[in-house]
Amino acid sequence: MIAVVRRYLRLTVLLCGVSMHRLTAYRMDFAVGVASFVIRVGGQIALIGLVYRYVDDLAGWGYHQALFLLGFSLLSRALDRLFTDQLWILAWQLVRSGEFHRYLIRPVNPLYLLLSERFMYPEGIGELALGLAITLASAGALDLHLDVAQWLLFVPMVVCGAVIHASIKTLIASCSFWSVSSLPVLSAVHQLGEFGSYPLGLYHPALQAVLTWVLPFAFTAYIPARYLLFGAVDGLIWLLPVTAVAAAVAYGVFRIGVNRYEMTGS
Amino acid sequence: MRRATRKYLPLAQAGVHAVLQYRATLLLQAVTAATATALHVFLWRAVYAEASRPPDIPLNSLTTYLVLAQVLALLHANRVDEMVAGEVYRGTIAVALLRPANYALTCLVANLPAAIIAAALAGGPVLSLFAVLTPLDRPTVPNLLLFTVAATLSVLLAFEVNFLVGLATFVTTNSWGIRMIKNGVVAFLAGQVVPLGLLPAGIAQVVRLLPFQGLIDGPLRLLLGTYRDAAGAAAILGVQAIWVLVLLGLSVLAWRGARRRIEVIGG
Repeated sequence: MIAVVRRYLRLTVLLCGVSMHRLTAYRMDFAVGVASFVIRVGGQIALIGLVYRYVDDLAGWGYHQALFLLGFSLLSRALDRLFTDQLWILAWQLVRSGEFHRYLIRPVNPLYLLLSERFMYPEGIGELALGLAITLASAGALDLHLDVAQWLLFVPMVVCGAVIHASIKTLIASCSFWSVSSLPVLSAVHQLGEFGSYPLGLYHPALQAVLTWVLPFAFTAYIPARYLLFGAVDGLIWLLPVTAVAAAVAYGVFRIGVNRYEMTGS
Repeated sequence: MRRATRKYLPLAQAGVHAVLQYRATLLLQAVTAATATALHVFLWRAVYAEASRPPDIPLNSLTTYLVLAQVLALLHANRVDEMVAGEVYRGTIAVALLRPANYALTCLVANLPAAIIAAALAGGPVLSLFAVLTPLDRPTVPNLLLFTVAATLSVLLAFEVNFLVGLATFVTTNSWGIRMIKNGVVAFLAGQVVPLGLLPAGIAQVVRLLPFQGLIDGPLRLLLGTYRDAAGAAAILGVQAIWVLVLLGLSVLAWRGARRRIEVIGG
């Protein structure tokens, strides 16, 4: 078991290094990728800024608290994007083109092999830097002081959020084993994830329930941010079970899909 | 005229057939538009509920703006940028030069009817859904007519913007990244992210001189009647029309330049 973990860790470090080389070779790609995120997030910040010109408080969240939530949501999204961007390609065309068999004939776990093709995706680095900047700036403006438990839980909460994002993505992308392409579903669900960047209290209770228990985007930012800002632990105790269940379901569906996969004849 | 129809009609039909064939894509376009709309509607309703001095546009007008902004965005979601970029990237653009047809016109007829049908089939249900869920403004007949003219111009604008972005692939090969940047910039400057009327006055004035406001904000100001007088309405249409012509000129120039740049690997 330990040997397996060590092998995969070594592979990950190696493959991330390879990807970093690619980044330095295609610097323009990197700049364009980062710029596209700065612009998109800039729009979201502008929206929050405009909203708070009219109110001091929205569903119990102030301006800097809302920004903190946005920044935190970018962190888990970024971590997910850094390691799982290839899932978009799976949803889009790997099954249709029959290329997926590539991942089945090497002595590594197929899901790991699939993901490893796009480690350190440049957009993810831009998103991570931006998320950190926003989180730190708004924490500074709030004069936020975390206690020991909150400091200790900060990184694990981001990781859990990323695993939840990755699980939802894996689950939807795996649907392509049945439907050949699931790209439109994936982008629709991805869009739904944007709800997670704003205070959940804004939405209709039915939508809140969906975002918490069906597509658990609430656990990727809203619930951790509520803990860090207000010390609320009621949702947080579910973070680990929800992460575990999401990951297990996603991986299970992926395995069933792989077993069902048939190569194209060509 | 008849010859032109015979030449281009099949392209339009093929585009529309493709839309009708991929019904799941239509459904998901509708779901995506509906979620984006819901997010904005929830957000601004909360603002109106909690603000001591809410924005001076009535909530129902703002809701109508938010819903229709997403529907108009569907109308502008032609895939011209993707199509042109793809052909440049693969080099198949060389074939386009051999065809006895105008390339820009080919792109136009292959994509616009399809985009209009897709917008009607995906946007119609979204509009009906929000009309049932939340109170919307009912436009006056003159405003509806003005909106129809402006919406038609906006479709042309969206085509020209995307055509130019597609041609940019001749300069940069990273067409995906450029398209992502374009999507972000256009969504914001058109008024899809934030209604332009809510921006600080100075910024709004500048943004309203750019071509992108003619995609969403201009048509919706006409529909909701938030212009000052007849001259104000004419000005909105005038700015739109000028940009349609300017971008047309730019497209022609860019296409000429691109033809000179074409290099295709033989094989």
